[in-house]
Amino acid sequence: MRILYLLVNRLIWFFPTVFGLLLLVFTISHIIPADPVAFLAGDYATNEQIADLRAQYGFDRPLYIQFTNYVMGTFQGDLGISLYTQRPISYDLLARLPATLELTFVSIVISAIIGVPLGVIAAVYRNSVADHILRLITVSGLAIASFWLAILFQLFFAMELQWTPLQGRIDGWGPDHITGFFLLDSLLVADWESFGSAFSHLVLPVSTLAFPAMATIMRFTRAGVLDAINSNYVLYEQAMGIPQRIIVWKYILRNALIGTVTQIGLIFGILLAGSVVVEAVFDWPGLGLYAVQSIMNSDYNAIMGFTLITGAMFIFINLLVDVLQGVMDPRSEL
Amino acid sequence: MESLIKTTTKERKKIMFKFNIIKSLTLGMALILGGALIAPTGLEAKNKFVFANSSPYDTMDPHALYDVGRVAYRINLYDGLLRWLDNPPKLSPWLADSYDISEDGTSYTFHLNKGATFHDGSPVEASDVVYSIERILALKKGAFSLYTGSVEPGSTKALDTHTVQFNLVQPSSIFLATVPAIHILNSTLVKSHEVDGDLGAKWLSQNDAGSGSFELDRYDPAIGFSAKRFEDHFMGWGDKYLDEIEFRTVIEINSRVLGLMNGDFHGTDGYLPQDQVKRLVASENVDVQVEESMRIFYVILNHNREIMQDINFRKALSHAFDYDSFITDILGGSVARNPAPMPNNIWGNPLDEKGYSYDMDKAREYLAKVKKPIPEFVLGALAGYGQTGQAAALFQNSLTKLGLKTRIVEEPWSVASKKMRDKEQMYDSLFIWRSTYYADPNNWIGEMYACDQVGARNNSWYCNPEVDKLLMDARIEPDQAKRSVNYKKAAKMVMDDAAGLFVYNTVWFGPYNKNVKGVRFSPIGNAQEMRWVYFEK
Repeated sequence: MRILYLLVNRLIWFFPTVFGLLLLVFTISHIIPADPVAFLAGDYATNEQIADLRAQYGFDRPLYIQFTNYVMGTFQGDLGISLYTQRPISYDLLARLPATLELTFVSIVISAIIGVPLGVIAAVYRNSVADHILRLITVSGLAIASFWLAILFQLFFAMELQWTPLQGRIDGWGPDHITGFFLLDSLLVADWESFGSAFSHLVLPVSTLAFPAMATIMRFTRAGVLDAINSNYVLYEQAMGIPQRIIVWKYILRNALIGTVTQIGLIFGILLAGSVVVEAVFDWPGLGLYAVQSIMNSDYNAIMGFTLITGAMFIFINLLVDVLQGVMDPRSEL
Repeated sequence: MESLIKTTTKERKKIMFKFNIIKSLTLGMALILGGALIAPTGLEAKNKFVFANSSPYDTMDPHALYDVGRVAYRINLYDGLLRWLDNPPKLSPWLADSYDISEDGTSYTFHLNKGATFHDGSPVEASDVVYSIERILALKKGAFSLYTGSVEPGSTKALDTHTVQFNLVQPSSIFLATVPAIHILNSTLVKSHEVDGDLGAKWLSQNDAGSGSFELDRYDPAIGFSAKRFEDHFMGWGDKYLDEIEFRTVIEINSRVLGLMNGDFHGTDGYLPQDQVKRLVASENVDVQVEESMRIFYVILNHNREIMQDINFRKALSHAFDYDSFITDILGGSVARNPAPMPNNIWGNPLDEKGYSYDMDKAREYLAKVKKPIPEFVLGALAGYGQTGQAAALFQNSLTKLGLKTRIVEEPWSVASKKMRDKEQMYDSLFIWRSTYYADPNNWIGEMYACDQVGARNNSWYCNPEVDKLLMDARIEPDQAKRSVNYKKAAKMVMDDAAGLFVYNTVWFGPYNKNVKGVRFSPIGNAQEMRWVYFEK
């Protein structure tokens, strides 16, 4: 019942949140004194010709009418047409979404798999050499710029050691489209060559994205474990003679992870934002690269579409996190 | 809790055992990755050329965009009636074997090659040419504005299957130079995909309806496109050619450079920053080909500003820019000084004119003659194009020494291009390049300083009736020798007027894999036409 209440509550807030997001991005993107139509019309177009084309796309109308039309279209599933590709925005976004999701999900899973145990180790061995080393890694992960790290990885692992591909998502054009996730698609058709290629192409971008995420997860896990260690229930369990490993990995970790899970929800948003840089450096054909190009071209519909889809994903992931938190901690106020 | 933190060795081992499982898994993954080392791509064995391009291939419609960055799909998948080749560029027969011009200069008749076919095997006919020009005019995008005022809708006629006639509104000596921008479509194919009168725009945005040397094989707007050699191309093939070409979007300069050094790519754009060119020159995998291009770098001065009406102020500005330091020190001598409003290597350039040099004493002299108060001077630069920012900073340094209050405004092209069309919003000065769309002096001085281009291609709002008459006469005069005289005179007047600051002629540093041969550079197309390229075995 609590979960249902939570779902309904969040869904009620979903639409105003997305509306607010759209309004904000629409306003910002349209008040920038850029003119995508001038670029589209070519360097040789006269001002009259540009004005004609602007009218053709409806950019001559007042902003509130443009916004109303956009929102109405969105409710009908029409995100508009890209000025540059002349294709529906939904088509362009869906073509790129799997690449970004694959990158983000693998990064978040890797960062959690590594970050949580290391966080526990750091807490259990507080102030030991291991803790200091892990703290150094954590601080580095939070401080190093993704852009710099990505180039460093490229120079060392791809250029110097020749261990990984330098860039791209796969050699060639990838397996036949089923879901758009190359790892999954190649597995589904047992195309091991494509799987290996997709896997090896993921290594550097995932490492770049996962490193700061892992550092955050490690920090929160460490803090959570340290907090739980000092609880009375741990003292009680110890007095009951429960083995230490069970106390740490079952009881302490469960409580310690509540904060970490919340962080993972927030990290998802950070990773989506971080993917813009990582996709640019690694030539990863995802949403981040699309967003950069759209912003540079002032392709309004594309910018709005990107915002809508990433905003919706972020809200959905946070909803999922809230539900998980509720499941993990029955005391939590929903 | 100290007891827990200070666990016994045995307990620690247990905890570590669990951790070791995770660690082993992680290491296992690393080993798998280790096993997935890059295998040699074998691209050259497949005779496949990969080019890393800085601009995204948003569309495959050759009439949707007319820019330099995305020229590859237009010139490799499509043919025009004529084509610019080599450097200096020569207008060469292509789909048209020959052409006639009527005595009054308004009628251009092209005779098509009878062996030319589209990729689907259907013949290229005059009706396809008519459809293509009408589509360009109707779409009002891309190259359409090249034909504004010269080609009216409905005026182009197919005289017979292989003869097409363009009937211009008025004589134009530059029309022929713009003909290569008319990319010929398979009209039957495109018409069959028209939806709601869209002229096939949606379908053509990701499909191919051309007759070019290569036919589209794969296209992904997120990645780029690949195309296979069109064996039946009307020009035939020698014994050296590529079987497949692939143009990928790689936005990050460093990634393009590393990819080229690593052998992932065989070529990339030839206007990289000098530090990157030096890296490539030092690489054992890469050859850097050098050609003087026709792209010029100059400063647009906004003549709408009251202070800019004073020629002394403009001359002071012209002497205040340190041309030599910029070219020699900042750009490492990688460009050629060009003091004129057109490239060094085009006919009509007044090569004997020296232009302005950096001389702060002269700048002070001229500035002393300026009577009106000088307001804050805004130096515009293009975000993402570091060289414009560097030039603006250098200029700002000199202007500050002269006692002027200045401010640098760096904005992306989409913003700057809008401001350039608005006399109020236009910066006081803007560092910018003028690219080569067609090799005729009109592409530069004829548009940069003609009165009829004010607010469009003339972003300085400079309008001198004497200069304008020379430029207008040159636009309709068919004799190139007479036109050349006009352009030389006009250029000298523009320079004497200090209408802008003319800095350099770009040099193209085309980086290619060492095994790549046969690259033919032309300032129009920037060597991205692949039909002559091959791998040395």
